[in-house]
Amino acid sequence: MYILKKMLGRIAAIAGNAFREAVRDRVLYNLVLFVLLLTGAAVFIGELSGGQERKIIVDLGLSAMLLFGVFISIFVGVGLVYKEIERRTVYTIFAKPVSRGEFLLGKYLGLCLTLLVNVVVMGGGVSLALIYVSGGIDPLVISIWPAILLIYVELMILTGVALLFSSFSSPALSALLTFFVFIIGHFSADLKSLATSLGGTAARWFFAGLYYLLPNLANLSYITPAAHGQSPNLGYISTAILYALLYIAVVLASATLVFSRRNFK
Amino acid sequence: MKHRFSKSDVLLALITLIGLAGVVGLSRLIDARQPATLAGGTDDQLYLSGSTVKRVSIGFNGLAADWYWMRSLQYVGRKILKSGQGLQLDNLGTLNLKLLAPLLDTATTLDPEFMEPYEYAAIVLPGIDINEATRITKKGITANPNSWRLYQHLGYIYWQQRDYEAARETYREGAKIPGAPAWMEAMQARMAAEGGSRDTAREIYRRMFEQSDDPKVKEMARTRLLQLQSLDERDALRRLMNGYKAQMGKCPATWLELAPALRVLKVPTDTNGAPFDPAGVAYVLLPDKCDLETDPKSKVPSN
Repeated sequence: MYILKKMLGRIAAIAGNAFREAVRDRVLYNLVLFVLLLTGAAVFIGELSGGQERKIIVDLGLSAMLLFGVFISIFVGVGLVYKEIERRTVYTIFAKPVSRGEFLLGKYLGLCLTLLVNVVVMGGGVSLALIYVSGGIDPLVISIWPAILLIYVELMILTGVALLFSSFSSPALSALLTFFVFIIGHFSADLKSLATSLGGTAARWFFAGLYYLLPNLANLSYITPAAHGQSPNLGYISTAILYALLYIAVVLASATLVFSRRNFK
Repeated sequence: MKHRFSKSDVLLALITLIGLAGVVGLSRLIDARQPATLAGGTDDQLYLSGSTVKRVSIGFNGLAADWYWMRSLQYVGRKILKSGQGLQLDNLGTLNLKLLAPLLDTATTLDPEFMEPYEYAAIVLPGIDINEATRITKKGITANPNSWRLYQHLGYIYWQQRDYEAARETYREGAKIPGAPAWMEAMQARMAAEGGSRDTAREIYRRMFEQSDDPKVKEMARTRLLQLQSLDERDALRRLMNGYKAQMGKCPATWLELAPALRVLKVPTDTNGAPFDPAGVAYVLLPDKCDLETDPKSKVPSN
């Protein structure tokens, strides 16, 4: 119990530092751009949308939230480990009783905390914009939050993938590979239909393997229904979270495995 | 520490400002000299089909649908402005809106639950391409079988085509959907009994005005309601004129000659005794034809 407590303390310290570093790197400045985008949309979209400003604010707000989050996950995520190695601060960290797994998990949780702050503030911004255009409390203000939760879950997966690639590759290549995973993750239905429609057994197995290996991000995309006031049910959300946690565990375990064998000399 | 601007700072700022001014000037010059084909003289084609856009939109399909929806509105609005005529949304056949159907089709493929493009397709498209209007609305019904409003739109398309039997059947199907208002059932009966009457038209536009969220559609429905009211008023005024002619042996030369009869009917008039149309503009008397018409300045369409 004592050992576990100590370990959690070390992970929390690294996570806190990763969060502070992200704030110092002005990662949260994207919120300014987001606020400007939403304010502009709330004020001007009514003129252009033929009475559909509420739907468009939800679509625009949640899509921007996902897009900004993806950029933060990828570009900050791939630098989490690389920067420590480049600055050689990794030596001082590992000179202390910190394992490589704890280091990676701490870094990961730090960025997840940054993303959480980002997503919650953005969600608040979308809610305020909805209240502004509706002239009062709107049912969408409540019903968008399950979709926001799923966006956050998607970003958590992507951060894990970015960390995995960065544990053995250069930042540029890691960013590219993570971006590909994001794209292919949204084409998972096509992978599945390819797997079932191909004639050859090997090809069928290959695409089926790819379908299960890559994260199924399309299942976490609930922005469009949210704009119509639809929310996923509790069963769907809990299954999606469970899937994400399991996938993240696999990705972080693989990253730790690779990172543990890495020689910094 | 005071920061002093050096000569090179000033020079660079000047280059920036003059350069920007030059860019603006040249852009305006290029815009003015642009060939008609580039300046929007012809419509561009949509490069991607709805299903392709949906495939590549990777989770942003709702936003892409909004984009296509707003593009549809801008496309129609730009064409109306360019025509310089006060055209109604349901009467845009002369504007060559050949991109409207693909734009609305793409918007509804990207977000099949997005209702407004279906409404727009039902109201604007019949005047341009009736087959596309019907196809897109039916596509909406397939994607949203529990939406009675799509049946209302399809019924409106059939009613406009004077296919009252198809309209009746559509309203009947729509009335069966849970949550459909009682007037859908009443509309079915009305279509069967008097599909082509003004009262049916009034009911259709009244319901359209009540249900729509789109200000332009509301405006169109309101104008059509004013027009129907004006048609009734003009019929009543013609009867008055015919009565006057039968009594006096000639048509009235001015509205003042009909003033006693108009007073009895409590018709509001201007200082010359001319009755107002529903938009508040006086009707124009045509003494030679023993008839009347709406003032061209009025918002009420003549026919």
